[in-house]
Amino acid sequence: MSELLEVRDLCISVVANDGARTLLVDTVSFSIDAGERVALVGESGSGKSLTARALLGLDRQMELDGSIRFKGTELVGMPERELRKIRGSGIGMVFQDPLSALNPLMTIGDQVTAPLRAAGVSRHAAWERARRTLEELGVGDAESRMHAYPHQFSGGMRQRVVIAIALISEPELLVADEPTTALDVRVQAQVLRLLAEIADARGLAVLFITHDVGVVGELARRVEVMYAGTTVERGSVEAFFRSPAHPYTRGLLSAVPRLDDDSRLLSMAGAPPAPASRPSGCVFSPRCPYATERCRDDRPALHLTAARAEVACHYSPVEAEVPA
Amino acid sequence: MRNHIIQIAAFAARKIVGAIVTLWFLATVVFFLGRLTPGDEARAAAGASATPEQVEAIRRRLGLTGSLMEQYLAYLGRLAHGDLGVSSSSQGPVAGAIFAVLPHTAELVVTSMLIIVTVAIPLAVWSAVRASGAGDTLRRLVVIIAAGMPTFWAAILLQSLVAGQWRILPISGIATVGIQVPPVTGLRTIDSVLAGSPIAFWDAVDHLILPAVVLAIPFSGQLFRIVRAELLRVLAREHIEVVRATGVSGRHVIWDHAFPQIVNPVLLILGVDFAGMFGSAVLVESVFGRDGFGSFMTNAMAQKDTAAVLGGVLVIGIIVVVTSIVIDTIQIIRDPRVRAKQIGGAA
Amino acid sequence: MSTLTGPSRVPSSAPDTRTVWVRYLRPRPRRSSLLDIVTISVAAVLVLAAVFGPLIAPDIDRSSITEALQAPSFAHLFGTDQQGRDIFWRVVVGARYTLTSAVIIVVGYALLGVLIATLATTGPRWTNEMLTRFIDLGIAFPSLVFALGVAAALGPSLPTACIAMVVTGWPMTARLLQGIMKETLALPFVEAATVLGASPLRLMAHHLLPNSLPPLWIKWTGDIGNTALVLGALSFIGAGAQPPLPEWGAMVAASQEVAMTAWWTILFPGLAIVVTTTTFGLLGDMLHARMDPSRSRTRRRHGE
Repeated sequence: MSELLEVRDLCISVVANDGARTLLVDTVSFSIDAGERVALVGESGSGKSLTARALLGLDRQMELDGSIRFKGTELVGMPERELRKIRGSGIGMVFQDPLSALNPLMTIGDQVTAPLRAAGVSRHAAWERARRTLEELGVGDAESRMHAYPHQFSGGMRQRVVIAIALISEPELLVADEPTTALDVRVQAQVLRLLAEIADARGLAVLFITHDVGVVGELARRVEVMYAGTTVERGSVEAFFRSPAHPYTRGLLSAVPRLDDDSRLLSMAGAPPAPASRPSGCVFSPRCPYATERCRDDRPALHLTAARAEVACHYSPVEAEVPA
Repeated sequence: MRNHIIQIAAFAARKIVGAIVTLWFLATVVFFLGRLTPGDEARAAAGASATPEQVEAIRRRLGLTGSLMEQYLAYLGRLAHGDLGVSSSSQGPVAGAIFAVLPHTAELVVTSMLIIVTVAIPLAVWSAVRASGAGDTLRRLVVIIAAGMPTFWAAILLQSLVAGQWRILPISGIATVGIQVPPVTGLRTIDSVLAGSPIAFWDAVDHLILPAVVLAIPFSGQLFRIVRAELLRVLAREHIEVVRATGVSGRHVIWDHAFPQIVNPVLLILGVDFAGMFGSAVLVESVFGRDGFGSFMTNAMAQKDTAAVLGGVLVIGIIVVVTSIVIDTIQIIRDPRVRAKQIGGAA
Repeated sequence: MSTLTGPSRVPSSAPDTRTVWVRYLRPRPRRSSLLDIVTISVAAVLVLAAVFGPLIAPDIDRSSITEALQAPSFAHLFGTDQQGRDIFWRVVVGARYTLTSAVIIVVGYALLGVLIATLATTGPRWTNEMLTRFIDLGIAFPSLVFALGVAAALGPSLPTACIAMVVTGWPMTARLLQGIMKETLALPFVEAATVLGASPLRLMAHHLLPNSLPPLWIKWTGDIGNTALVLGALSFIGAGAQPPLPEWGAMVAASQEVAMTAWWTILFPGLAIVVTTTTFGLLGDMLHARMDPSRSRTRRRHGE
């Protein structure tokens, strides 16, 4: 198995001042092969960003349980000093908001070369590599652009810089946290295409964190759906769109307007539960239209469906039509 | 390029005009303050033993004849020529007296600023990075107490203890009697270096340490608080996390990426502190028996020499204004956003 | 945009002005730490000393050379000064001068600052420009020096020092308030009120001021302590309270020459200043912690 990243039974909790522990991410497992592109889908509060950030150990105040293996090395419990070696050169992260992700006081060039310079690379070599990376990302006239400041650029250009910063140390896994949320629609498409090209060109594995179903279709081969801190469904992109098995996923997809389908858009009633008040049974049961007593008491484990997807539901695949 | 130069020139002109207007405001306030003084200014300037004719002559020379408006204009005119009036205690020009002793205070203030920058700032950075809950209350307390300690009191206490009891440092004065140094700049440390005398240099430094430390305490407390708060805010910003996510070490993150962001507010505060220290120097110099602007003011105060005190107020005003221009200029050079706003056009 | 998604940050709604006074003044539930309790107790002691001190103190001006410069003892808790006067009672009585003056000064420049900031914000453009320049000058200029100037002009005394400090104190208040009001003016609810026909006065009283003042209460509380400090300094250099007034700064000045041997003569008055300043500074901090719900001691990231 050429598994680049293997996450097994990952639990992320936060401990309050008075010692109270709140479980934010509950026993999440998934793996990513070299060069594979996976989307982690969920709404705000699902735990998807926390999971992604845990790969880089960015939230030091969170408690991690379980295992995260990157190229065979265990990341959970790794001291900061060691983690730093993985960050950037093993796993890179593309942040969501290009405006706040860039330092307004430093030139683009200084920011992109910063990781290299900190690692001891000479200024000349670092700038050369940065220039090439920026050009690869479609930044024309990179040489002079590198002397400019972030506020002089458009949103799309800034996002390319953020991607360049993530790529400069040549990681093998790229984690993109909502890479298009802060951009206009037009630019979103550009950036997505760019990410796909780069991933292909460099053989990068990519983990997309997103709540935007459109991103999923554009870039990923596999999908992991998270809700209220757990994985509720996973499978190929085709299975995700054509035959969603979990009621939540179905609800997600029926709320998205499609060009080829005129049926009414449906929204799901309710909202995800707060981390402290998640039900002990199926996390989706409070909102699920098919929920039974069993659902509320007994948390379903992931099991295989006919479409070779995995779903955490007692009654999937759901044969009945979603009521109009 | 030419456009650029014009923009810079326009900026400089704006700053200078602004400075002049501010000084004019101050001068006007001081003028009216002077009018409030009971007693005859001309007589005070002429001295107790002057004849009525001499007093009249002085009255004319000082422009104290005529209507309020005429006096005001005459006053402004004198100021433009650098004439700050006549001291009633010495009968000499105020301006000259002040500028003779100003360098001593400048030396003290600069030394104090050096202490602050090399001690308070790194300490605050360290504290922000730690951000631990345990020492939090203690730290808060220490900082508040430091900021709230009366300078003059700390001066006397330290003087009694360090100089009086332990005899580590000299009790008072600028230098030990007997060590001569030709006054070139008026700054004893520099003059000692220029004269090539290490003995004189270290002697001057010895006399500077205690007063400079005492002067630095309240300003250090305040600066510590602000640097810590600002640094914590910057460290919470997203782009810092971006850098951390690339594997850059903590030291680099702090000093290359985070710290430069707080230099602006820090510079602003240092600028205000610089002028403020000239004020607080009043207290320190009197306790440590150092000659300088501070003791000049306290002596003038004691001798009811209003002209001298008000002249001092104006000199401080000049220092404040000049410092502000210097800080603004530094910010323009450092921060491209400020540049764009102030000068306009491409950075 | 599907209903399941959306930004994780919800824009804060405009403050409900009707209850804003109550909301800000009602303390938030929070466990009082030991420091908080100590702070409030000390503040209470100070106020009690200021109010009742002069009433219960024996004659503090009676000098008795035979009792001069005695170290602290049961008879004289803080010792005696060069003139044989009991320092403890002088310090206690001095509390009234210092605290009353400090409060008067802060109230004075608070009112002045609010007035000028209001004028600057709601007045015509040129008043704003001119006042702003005055404010800039007032802030940058060291207050001690300016107070010296005022004292020289009017003759040194405690009231003169108070006037001087009101004059040097209002710019900071005005500047802070100006900034806050400018921000508040930009909030949508102000525009809404204007559209609904609110006059500038009503705007000011009902909308702007109530929302802008809370941070200033915090500042003003801490200022009481700082003012006491500067008052002491002014008296020390002879520009403020004159002897035989038992003002703390003046007491330190008077005993300066004997400080090295008779340490108690300057330790206790100075300590009184430190305690006052620290206490009110901590009070301000406490107020801050209780008023500002967004301030958290630990940084935690919840979320996705």
